[in-house]
Amino acid sequence: MATSQPPVRFTSHKNFVWRLVFSVLTGRTIQISQIRPSSTNPGLAPHEISFLRLIESVTNGSQMEISYTGTILVFKPGLITGSAPGNGASGGVIHHQLPPNCSRGVSYFLVPLCLLAPFSKAPIRVLFSGPGVITSSTPTGDMSVDSVRTAILPLYNQFGIFNNIELRVLRRSNPGPNGKGGGGEVQLVFGHQVRLAKTLHMLNAGRIKRIRGVAYSVGTSGSNNARMIETARGILNPLSPDTYVFSDMSSAPLVDAPDKTNAAAKKKIGLGFGLSLVAESSTGCLYSADVACPPSGGQPPEDIGKQCAYQLLETISKGGCVAPAAAPTMLGLMTMGTEDVGRLQLGREVVGDESVIQLARDLTKFGCPGWGLRDASDDNTTSDVIVSVVGRGIGNVGRKVA
Amino acid sequence: MVGKRKRDTSVVSRSTTKEEEDAPPAVADTSAHDVFRKFFEAQFEPIEAPEEAVDEESDEAEETGSDGEGSDFESGSEWSGVSGEGEESEVEVIEHRDASSSEHLASKKARKAFMSSKLPSLAEKPTAVKRAPTKEKEDDDPKEADNLKHDLALQRLLKESHLLEDASDLAPTGKNRLKALDLRMQELGAKSSLYHQKMPSAHRRGIKAKAETKEDKRRRDARENGIILEKPAHKKNKSSSGHRERGVGGPSVGKFAGGTLNLSKSDIFSVKGKALAGRKKPSRGKPKGRR
Repeated sequence: MATSQPPVRFTSHKNFVWRLVFSVLTGRTIQISQIRPSSTNPGLAPHEISFLRLIESVTNGSQMEISYTGTILVFKPGLITGSAPGNGASGGVIHHQLPPNCSRGVSYFLVPLCLLAPFSKAPIRVLFSGPGVITSSTPTGDMSVDSVRTAILPLYNQFGIFNNIELRVLRRSNPGPNGKGGGGEVQLVFGHQVRLAKTLHMLNAGRIKRIRGVAYSVGTSGSNNARMIETARGILNPLSPDTYVFSDMSSAPLVDAPDKTNAAAKKKIGLGFGLSLVAESSTGCLYSADVACPPSGGQPPEDIGKQCAYQLLETISKGGCVAPAAAPTMLGLMTMGTEDVGRLQLGREVVGDESVIQLARDLTKFGCPGWGLRDASDDNTTSDVIVSVVGRGIGNVGRKVA
Repeated sequence: MVGKRKRDTSVVSRSTTKEEEDAPPAVADTSAHDVFRKFFEAQFEPIEAPEEAVDEESDEAEETGSDGEGSDFESGSEWSGVSGEGEESEVEVIEHRDASSSEHLASKKARKAFMSSKLPSLAEKPTAVKRAPTKEKEDDDPKEADNLKHDLALQRLLKESHLLEDASDLAPTGKNRLKALDLRMQELGAKSSLYHQKMPSAHRRGIKAKAETKEDKRRRDARENGIILEKPAHKKNKSSSGHRERGVGGPSVGKFAGGTLNLSKSDIFSVKGKALAGRKKPSRGKPKGRR
């Protein structure tokens, strides 16, 4: 079916992962050109290449062509097979290695992969390892794995996808020197496959009822955790009494660093600490905030705790039922739903965000009907916007029978 | 700051407890203050402002002292002393941090639920409160409890009677008691008997054979003497009765290992059968290998 259609053409490296994901979900071939054409480092970045490899390993029959300079990519998607045996998966688990010069957190890979996972043929089990896995939040704007687990994955429940979903953090790591590389290890198990996502109507944000969080410290003193927690709680506790932040301390991961004298040498990488906070409202909406210490260091844990708490408050203040970080996931799942109109209330700032608008434009290019936007209230009590999304009603091609 | 204050109060309260009975504590306190003040004034310049405060307190002290609550007043006097200092000097900001408080507040269970690899169950289930069995029931009918006890004893007697040697003594003792315990454990779901030891198979077979001959002899003796015994226990069908369940797709004859089909002599014999029938069978031992 896809063969007869001309490829959907995009330009620039922005929104790269979501374009690929929707290409796979809709089965349309895409051509992305002008990928960093004028940069000193033109073409696809290491993490983008790695994501292409990941897509290739969870699908069957994907084809890609990358131009000599790497500035043009043609991607022809295959079927999402998941971790079916004999297809790159050993023991039912796909091992995905991230390169040492990867500057994005592992959530850059996890969040889009999770959007593919419910529509796969077999359960998806992917083990991320190698010298480029950063589990913490990064300066490049990725959230931590804890936030993925506590703020993104529970959202699938609202679409009727909840069984056998796990995200194991086997080893933690902050970004290494210059924000590149890490030595973490993360396993994603996504065992609930559906044909179509349920239609969602989410119009009431409710009020914040509890705040939870994880403070992590990798290879640094555990007192950093206590200090971050103390400051964050100092800010949040007067606003929400049900605030608990759990602390997780681990030693620094070791990665191979062979030198002339010793080929088996290893070095510590990814030291640091950070905080992930999640607020849950009375209607089940989740808002998250993530701050980690910069790779160069020099920021006391109190500052991190304070920043994170304020970031959480800012996210909540934007309004709507969905945090900006979760918006692509939610809107993507609504697009993959039944042929029915789903409604979602979003903050005006969240809808007006560059990435969300880009997502809307990309989706129309893929042939999805456009979104309907209207103000949430006539009397201007809130500035929220209600987005109506029509599901495609095609859903999982790999599962022929519901 | 806080620590200092605490220590002061403790010291003072100790002194009051001593003097509580005989003299009003206020008087003693003021006299002590007087002594200290005189000493201070001898060393330095006389002081004015704090004197008033002390006098006020002593008034207060007489009021409260009549109630006989010395310690309360003492701590009160210390507090006012501190605030008096504060009025003169600039405002002091004390940040009270208590690092340990946040840790123990979150229960271990909540931590486990949140930090596990599963999605956090944000809707926490109410903890099931274990209720102690109400004593009223037991008190209600002691007869019922007695009956239950007797019932249990009877059941045990029926099940373990074969271990008893003497009719007068109904509770098995010694070795038999241990055997009875073993039986009870098996009944409660133990996987195997405690007396099921690991040993060479020849050894075990010998034990089994001996037990069989013993049983045979007992039955024979009983029959000869005209005694009627219990029916022999139903013998289980031997699982190794020639044929074993094999996987689908396996060879019907021989053993497939390492990419080759291995046929033992008995396999060949079972296939050829008649042709080899004339030959003498090996008399010693069973033929090895599977049929």
